[in-house]
Amino acid sequence: MNWMMLSCKKVTELVEKKSLVGLSTKEGVRLRLHTTMCKGCAAYQKQSFQIDKLLQHHLANDSFSDLAPTENDALINRIITKLRA
Amino acid sequence: MDSRKDFDSKEEIIESWVKLYTGSLLQWAQFKTSDKECAEDLVQDTFLAAFKQLASFNGNSSPKTWLLAILNNKIKSYYRNKYKILTEKAKAQTSDSALFNQFFDQNDHWKNHEKPSDWGDHQIHLLDDPEFNHILASCMNGLPEAWRLAISLKYLEQKKGELICQELDISPTNFWQQLHRAKLQLRKCLSLNWFKA
Repeated sequence: MNWMMLSCKKVTELVEKKSLVGLSTKEGVRLRLHTTMCKGCAAYQKQSFQIDKLLQHHLANDSFSDLAPTENDALINRIITKLRA
Repeated sequence: MDSRKDFDSKEEIIESWVKLYTGSLLQWAQFKTSDKECAEDLVQDTFLAAFKQLASFNGNSSPKTWLLAILNNKIKSYYRNKYKILTEKAKAQTSDSALFNQFFDQNDHWKNHEKPSDWGDHQIHLLDDPEFNHILASCMNGLPEAWRLAISLKYLEQKKGELICQELDISPTNFWQQLHRAKLQLRKCLSLNWFKA
């Protein structure tokens, strides 16, 4: 194991750091070096990116107008009572 | 015009909006928080805030858009507060080694059966598949609450990581380390229950 070689645990950590705040040049090089040699981490990185995309759409989905309205008369009355208080 | 009359009309405006928009705002809040009671409180707070700030509504956007912007801010601060409380709690009790030992050996390399392998290329329209959405939601629900909130915040805010951390008053390092743990577990859950199922 030479000094350039990261552990898989560290690599999975850097994948997350990269997507949140970015990596230093050295970290970037070491990450790339590792993923060219380690199939598991290469798959992890790809899947992590896919999960990011999926969650982004899942959580930031702005198409709520498609949703059916729910029963809310009780809430409407509660809010109006509060407003008049 | 006396001020009393002014006050009444302001109240009438808000009340008409309550009747018109409570339904869709509630749907949105419930979708974002997955918690009915808390969604109702957020919608109520939205109208109370709108009532106070009505003077700042200038009619450039529709009332619904304006109310939705207020609600979205309420949802974000709800997540922020909850996250802060949970993170304080979690500090005392997390056992990281148990989580990491599940995935990595003594040299911090993948254990054989945990090593990620290819998911294939059939995931393009996954979110159109209700069954996948169901599995994604249940994998998210399987995460410790603080981690789930960290993930939700990252995608709700749609902001740079540094900014999210500033607002949460935590270090970026703590934040991405938490996301790292969450991601390890989420990836495994999706792999087991969907991609390799």
